[in-house]
Amino acid sequence: MYDLSTVLDVDAVSSVEPGSSILVTGPAMTGKEELLTQILADGAAAGDGAVGVTTGGRAEDLIADIEGRVADVDSEALCAIDCRADSNRDELELDGGAYVHRVAAPSDMTGIGIAITKCFDRLHDAGLDRGRLGLTNLSTMVTYADRQTVFKFCHVLSSRLDAAAFLGVFTIDSSAHDQQTLQVIKQAFDGVIEIEERDGVREARAMGIEPDPSDWVEL
Amino acid sequence: MSDSEAPVVLIVEDEPDVAETYRLWLEDHYDVRMAENGDEGLEKLDSSVDVVLLDRMMPGLSGDEVLEHIREGDLDCRVAMVTAVEPDFDILEMGFDAYLSKPIKSDQLEDTVVNLLERSEYDSLLQEYYSLVEKQATLEATKSRAELAESEEYDDLKAEIASLREELSETLGGIEDDEDFIATIRGLSDADEN
Repeated sequence: MYDLSTVLDVDAVSSVEPGSSILVTGPAMTGKEELLTQILADGAAAGDGAVGVTTGGRAEDLIADIEGRVADVDSEALCAIDCRADSNRDELELDGGAYVHRVAAPSDMTGIGIAITKCFDRLHDAGLDRGRLGLTNLSTMVTYADRQTVFKFCHVLSSRLDAAAFLGVFTIDSSAHDQQTLQVIKQAFDGVIEIEERDGVREARAMGIEPDPSDWVEL
Repeated sequence: MSDSEAPVVLIVEDEPDVAETYRLWLEDHYDVRMAENGDEGLEKLDSSVDVVLLDRMMPGLSGDEVLEHIREGDLDCRVAMVTAVEPDFDILEMGFDAYLSKPIKSDQLEDTVVNLLERSEYDSLLQEYYSLVEKQATLEATKSRAELAESEEYDDLKAEIASLREELSETLGGIEDDEDFIATIRGLSDADEN
C-alpha cells in the first residue's frame, strides 16, 4: 500500500493500492507540481524508488528538488525523464547515481515509454519492489498529441504500473481544457485528487479511490 | 480477428524447411498461409491476416522492407519479426510487434502468436472503451443533471463502461512485459499519425 496522507490528510489516500494511477487536477498555479514532487520525495524517504517525468522543467532540477527534500536520500533510486520539446534523446547518470533520460518531445510516446521501461528496470535491478512514478503534466501532452492518444497512453501506462506494483501520479491543468476533455482523461485513472483555491487558501479532496469523495482539506 | 473462423497467420520465410516446420506447429489452431519471399508475402497480405511471421533476412525484398510496406498501408495486422540476433528496445520502434530469435522453439512460436492476438484484442477494446468514455463526456456536457438521472441511455452507457473496464484489465496479458508495453505504445503513435 502507498500512503499519500503525508501530503493530503484524508483517510481515502492513506493506503492506496499498488498499481493505482491517480490524477491530480486543478487550475494553473495551485500547487499540483509541488504536491507531485512531495509525493515522490515522501516515497524516496520511505525507501520507494522514484521516477519523475517532466514536460516543463529540467530533469536535473527535479532530481535536485527531491534530493533537497529528503535527508540521506539514496540517489540511485531516483530517475527523471525530461521530455521537453527541445531535448534530444539520450541518457546519463548524474553524480550521486540518479539517472536522467531525455526524450525528443512530449508527443514522443514511444520514447517516453522506452525511458520509463529503462527506469523501472533500473529500480528493479537495484532490488526495489516499490516505486512511484510522477508525470507532470498531461496538459502539455494533450497539446502536442491529442486527447485520445493521451488517454490511451495513460491506460497502457497504468497497466505497466500495475504489473510493477508501483504507484502513478499525474497532473493536469484543469483551466487549460474544456470540461469534456477533463472528463475523458479522468476515466483513464483509478482516482482523482482535485485542488481548488478559495480566498487564497488551497484545498484538496480525493475522489474515486473510495466510493464517496473525501472532505475538502487545506493543503 | 475475422469472424468466427480461426485467426490467419501468414508465414513469410525463404527457407522451405523452416516455413514448413512453423506451419506444422500452427496449423491445428490457425489458418496458415505461406509466402516464399517478400514480394509474395505482400501479395498474400490482405485484411483477413491477423499475424505475420516475417523473416528478416531474405533475398529480394527484405523483412524490413516488407514491414515498411505493411505499416505504410492501412492493414492493422501484427508482425513478429524473425531475426538472427536479439534486438534492443529501440529496434521495436521500427514497427514490428514482437521478435523471435532463431532458432525458434514450438512453444515460443505459439506463445508469440497467442500474445499478439491478445494484444490486438486489447487494442480494439481500448478503442471501444475510449469511444464510450467520449460519449459519456458528451452527454454530461450537454444534458442537465436531472436529464441524466432520468436517462436510460446514460445508465446503460455507464454500465457498459464499467464492464469494459473490467474486461480491459483482464486482457492485460497482452501487455505483460516490456516489449509488449513499448510495442503497444508505439501503436498509439502510429494511429495518431494516420
